[in-house]
Amino acid sequence: MTELLQTLLLGLLLGGVYALAASGLTLIFGVMRVINIAHGAFVILAAFVTYWLWDAYGIDPLLAIVITTPIVFAVGWVTYKVAVSPLRTAPMASTVLLTFGLALVLEGVMGELWGNNSTAIRPSYADESFTIGGIFLPKAQVYGGLIAVLVLALLWLVLTRSWLGRAIRAAATNPASAELVGIKVASVAALVFAIGIGAAGAAGAITGVLYPFVPGSHYQWIARLLAIVVLGGLGSLNGAVLGALLFGLAETMTSAYWSPQWATAVPYAIVFAVLLIRPQGLLGTKLREDVVAA
Amino acid sequence: MSHVSLRRGFTAAALTGVLALSLAACGDDSDGGGDSDGSIVIGTSLPLTGEFSQPGKAAQQGYEVWQKMVNDDGGLIGREVELVVKDDASNQNTIVADYNALIGQDKVDLLLGTFSSLLNLPASAVAEKAQMLYVEPAGGSPDMFTRGFEYLFFTQQATSDKQGKVFAEWVAALPEDERPETAAYPTLDDPFAAPNVAGIQEILEAAGIETVYEETYAIDTKNFDTIVSAMKSADPDLVVHGAQFEDGIGLTRSMLKADFTPDMFYETNAPSFGSQYSDGIGVENTEGVVYAVSHSPDAATPGNAEFVAAYEDMFGEGEVPEDAADAFAAGQVLQAAVEAVGDIDDQKALADWLHDNEVETILGPLSWDETGAPTGDFLIGQWQNGAPEIVLPEDAATAEIEIGWHPGGAD
Repeated sequence: MTELLQTLLLGLLLGGVYALAASGLTLIFGVMRVINIAHGAFVILAAFVTYWLWDAYGIDPLLAIVITTPIVFAVGWVTYKVAVSPLRTAPMASTVLLTFGLALVLEGVMGELWGNNSTAIRPSYADESFTIGGIFLPKAQVYGGLIAVLVLALLWLVLTRSWLGRAIRAAATNPASAELVGIKVASVAALVFAIGIGAAGAAGAITGVLYPFVPGSHYQWIARLLAIVVLGGLGSLNGAVLGALLFGLAETMTSAYWSPQWATAVPYAIVFAVLLIRPQGLLGTKLREDVVAA
Repeated sequence: MSHVSLRRGFTAAALTGVLALSLAACGDDSDGGGDSDGSIVIGTSLPLTGEFSQPGKAAQQGYEVWQKMVNDDGGLIGREVELVVKDDASNQNTIVADYNALIGQDKVDLLLGTFSSLLNLPASAVAEKAQMLYVEPAGGSPDMFTRGFEYLFFTQQATSDKQGKVFAEWVAALPEDERPETAAYPTLDDPFAAPNVAGIQEILEAAGIETVYEETYAIDTKNFDTIVSAMKSADPDLVVHGAQFEDGIGLTRSMLKADFTPDMFYETNAPSFGSQYSDGIGVENTEGVVYAVSHSPDAATPGNAEFVAAYEDMFGEGEVPEDAADAFAAGQVLQAAVEAVGDIDDQKALADWLHDNEVETILGPLSWDETGAPTGDFLIGQWQNGAPEIVLPEDAATAEIEIGWHPGGAD
């Protein structure tokens, strides 16, 4: 029983961080229909920025989120204006190519700035745990999970309880009608892209504390994040959170009760199985045109 | 967008993405060119980007140091050495394209190998098919040497299944009251790490040390807490971890978080990365960690001091990466064969010479069996007082081996 509880808690903590990283990816797709292959690279960029703040100025890496997120948000805004905006209405394949190229550029820039050696952020609590009964909960993971929940709640409030959120949802649902009622869809898209990248920034600060990283680590992240948002339903924030938690649980449960060798494969098999039954993902919406096409 | 067109969009995107990956990764970062002006052109493809970029960059440095030293010394059989270095982006498909291009388009005179068994497996097959000598600095998986290749040579002291042999035999020979009774063997699913651990496990089990945990984990595993939780429940005296680098840091940190500190801790690869390792797990937690290593900057091997000085001159003072030293040694082996044979046209003659002879390198003397596998023993290192030391074999040791892993015990 203790082992099961331990495994479940570790899975949920892992899933919480995945959820934060995936939220921006699904948000960007939901509004812009852009699959941002560079999302993992922005996560790693944020990890490097966090490392720089911690190493050069001694700022606690998790508290540094209040600095890291705006920095990465700004990078996202500029990236959108310079690179993504001209292709916003282009076929999806074009934006996939563009963001893939962007990921390679970011990897190169990070390699030049911080080198290709492995980097680790180790605050004083990095190797400590809370122990309750026979269960250990790594402090960094607990703090990271709580921050992820906080940021996700904030994001949810903005999307559902603010004028900006209504504008974003309107632009996502029907851009033409949104324009008619005075919403500047292009500006909303820029803001959404930056918010999505900002969320990746917050996730990057946390993952930088949890795992060592190199500029090339983004390949591992984008594979997981894409699977999570597809599982949850492309464009659905709630779906991304649910998909992330399931993904984290699937990884830890497989590792504990089957074999660590299958821990990264089984979650993808689950994604595959779910898509066979619900092609739109767990909480994805089946649009009218989907039905017509089918 | 309709469901069907969305799906088509995805397919097109995936195909174009793969195409872009291949094209981007095939990018050449040097000026290439065949032999024309009397120089000898040597081609290689290294993982300069992607997951193996860390050792890939170090290997490039090692090759460049060797090239400079050879050219400063009058060249290879009197001809200047040029290097053509491609970036395989840590990708098995790209590296096949790269070596085909080096042979077919760039028409290089000689080849040097890439980094990791994962990449050397397909790359060496391309070289063998073209009947070109393939001297590789890091590809020690036993799988490399079961294919009957004639042109393949690995320029470290031993294949990965024998790298921990000296350590395992030392443990097996410990007095009973000091010898661990149980051991755990977590390992990365990797052609280098897994055989390394299997070789140690075989010796320790034969010595009566019970295996209480044995699991292989996938290459993209990021979270090790569940593995460590299971290992902690098994309560082994010794952990033998088959790792590359990031997973080595990740698993060790998870062990620290879980307050799981077995009496002895052996880890492949990661601890040989010097300050990157101590920064990764905390220098205070390194005390007593044992590992196998191919090179020591302090070794009295012929040319080692000159190599270290040249490396520091070219890339700044600091630690000399083991991977750079291995690449340099690969250059030395290639150089020895070319100088002994006297020309570069007959690649079979170069391979035959290496099969029949021993070569002095900065890693020590290297010789090979008929498969191209080296026949020596690795050095065993141990972190002591925040610094790496060579502890076995005794004739190469810079310090005496200490029993026990003591996290928090080093300054």
